[in-house]
Amino acid sequence: MARKSWMYAVLEAVQYEMRQDKNMIWIYELTPPVASTPGMPVINLEKEFGRKRVVNTGIDENWMASCVLGAGLAGSKAVTYIPYQGNCMCFQVIQNHAGKLRSMTGGMASMPIVFLLEMTGQTPGFAGQHSDYEIDTYYAHIPGVKTVVPSTPTDAKGMMASAIRDPNPVCYLYPAGLRELMEDVPNEQYTTPLDKAAVRTVGSDITIVGSGGGMPEVLKAADLLQKQGMKVETIDLRCLKPMDTETLVKSVQKTKRLLTVDQSYYTLCPGAEVIARCAENVDGARFKRIAFPDAPPPAAPEMFLWMRPNADHIIAAAKKLVG
Amino acid sequence: MFELESSEASQEAAGSAWLPTASRRTFLKGVAGAGAAVSFMSKSAWANGEIGFWAKDLPADKLTEMFNTIVRIRWHERTMVDKMITDPKYRGYNHFYAGQEAVATGVCAALNNKGSFDQLDLVYSTHRPTGHAIAKGVDMKKMAAENDFRATGLNGGYGGEMHLSDKSCGFIGADGMIGPGHVIATGSAFAFRARGSKQVAVVFGGDGTYATPHFHSALNNAALLKLPFIYVLENNLYHQYAHYSYSCPMKDIADAARTYRIPGVVVDGQDVFQVYNAMKTAVDRARAGDGPTLIEAKTYRYYNHWGAPGAEAGQLGAFGYDPLAISSFRPEREVRAWMQRDPVDICRNILVNWGVLTRARADEIEAAAKKEAIDAFAWADKQPFCKPEDGLKNVFVDGVVPARQFG
Repeated sequence: MARKSWMYAVLEAVQYEMRQDKNMIWIYELTPPVASTPGMPVINLEKEFGRKRVVNTGIDENWMASCVLGAGLAGSKAVTYIPYQGNCMCFQVIQNHAGKLRSMTGGMASMPIVFLLEMTGQTPGFAGQHSDYEIDTYYAHIPGVKTVVPSTPTDAKGMMASAIRDPNPVCYLYPAGLRELMEDVPNEQYTTPLDKAAVRTVGSDITIVGSGGGMPEVLKAADLLQKQGMKVETIDLRCLKPMDTETLVKSVQKTKRLLTVDQSYYTLCPGAEVIARCAENVDGARFKRIAFPDAPPPAAPEMFLWMRPNADHIIAAAKKLVG
Repeated sequence: MFELESSEASQEAAGSAWLPTASRRTFLKGVAGAGAAVSFMSKSAWANGEIGFWAKDLPADKLTEMFNTIVRIRWHERTMVDKMITDPKYRGYNHFYAGQEAVATGVCAALNNKGSFDQLDLVYSTHRPTGHAIAKGVDMKKMAAENDFRATGLNGGYGGEMHLSDKSCGFIGADGMIGPGHVIATGSAFAFRARGSKQVAVVFGGDGTYATPHFHSALNNAALLKLPFIYVLENNLYHQYAHYSYSCPMKDIADAARTYRIPGVVVDGQDVFQVYNAMKTAVDRARAGDGPTLIEAKTYRYYNHWGAPGAEAGQLGAFGYDPLAISSFRPEREVRAWMQRDPVDICRNILVNWGVLTRARADEIEAAAKKEAIDAFAWADKQPFCKPEDGLKNVFVDGVVPARQFG
């Protein structure tokens, strides 16, 4: 056990798997697979495994995703780290090939591959192309790929290990706003399921569901609400596809009130799916979702920070729903 | 490990012969002798007779204006660096263009930058846009305000540096993405051809763009359709923190033009008149309906990819180790070697040599440019901040979208 950042925890999982499987590859551009943390060895995948297996490409996310898919079809495990600037440049190959090949080949295609897709959404001032937080919605819509979005270093490590071992293509979303999050993470390898939401706090008054980059504000709001006497059940979605309907429905059956929180745009945000599944299965519940408005994120911090859901927004919405 | 190789290379003899199969180490040897290598290359393009020395025929006021543009960009960049370093209230995120001024200036001097929108040549820029913007005619004050996200900024505080845009001078704008803008620019060129206009579409791209599918799509389609399109590739050796040998198998990216059967020209990007000569030839060709040109300008940025690590207020250039430069660290001697061939000095010396400017007049112009930049940032500082609820505007032409963050 040692204190680790999100990326240190992820690279630790990858390093372990690459040591077990001499064929496994890692493709990146601009973001070297290097991480360090106090008291632990520096991880440098390129140095350890060499440039035949670990390569820094030119700026071509289509190639990165295609390369990983091709490697998978050829029988190798493969991961690519696509930085946030290019996290939709590779959309077509994931949506139209990786997502459909297993079906189109009658189950024959092997794709033990991971698309590590970096997200942004945390930095005011970058604007539009560098501040959006939207790919959770896009990738979760694709059949045939699993889409997960861990929100803690511990989950990040366990879910990366699971994603690499999973025979299906996995879109593993990395909310880069969490890059400075640190916590104690086990040193040994472990797996965390790719189909289970995590109940972070237990309560009976209201269910609040969030995911990824939104979780720190959700937990902060839940903590403040609990101090004011509200019994809040907080769920970290973690897995967008497949979605853990059972955990969600069980919670809302108990609380009868569901608030979803997303940094993604309102229309078709993950919370919309959460509400739909609960509405189908729970009678007499009340629902509310908060999300980023259906607008590109503007540069000016005054506008951007006002638009992005935060703990104050969550607290006000929860009180309205419970009160 | 690359850091070691780079610093070794910089200490070895400059101007070593280029080998197509060279390792990265040999590659760096070739580029380490920046000045010598660059002037050789521009001479070879010149010797091919592909471009004429048009700049010599320009009237004195036009040449003086080019010097003015170069120093205006230089002092804008230096003022912005100082602002970023010394003013904790400044909120801009900047990619500095200093060192590359001659490229933007030489390119835009060959374009139509004034008049009605259906007469203007259009420029598509990059995430390092401020030099292109100034050369195209964007107002420095409004740009400074936009870079600090003010309501009265060029784009109302919605865009910031990586999305600067000014239709009034044909600056379609900055782009935070690498690649798509090039293809989009060919669409503008297609529209010009379809409506019988003499306008041209120009895109700036960096050395990193060679690897993108967009680079090839833009050139292939422009070549097939003979579009009035000019691709200005500013090869400053690094895309973000990686040397271009990571993404391009050739020393001269302009060689790619051969694939598309269009002219590919290498120019000394530190010499504004060489850039202008190549650009003028390309623009004439495009306006005559003869199709696109790829111009590769060999140049260098004096600052790191992003922000001002290693820079000091009042001093030109950034030196020392950039903690973000994990793939490729730029050796300080490489930076200093390129600064020996400074685009401001080269332009000044040529114009003094031609009798267009005296040194005293050049100094006056530079002092005025410095004052303009300082005044622009001072003006920007006084501009109002944006209203939060305005974030719901500008999604569609009309109206606002609903707030969804409150539940």
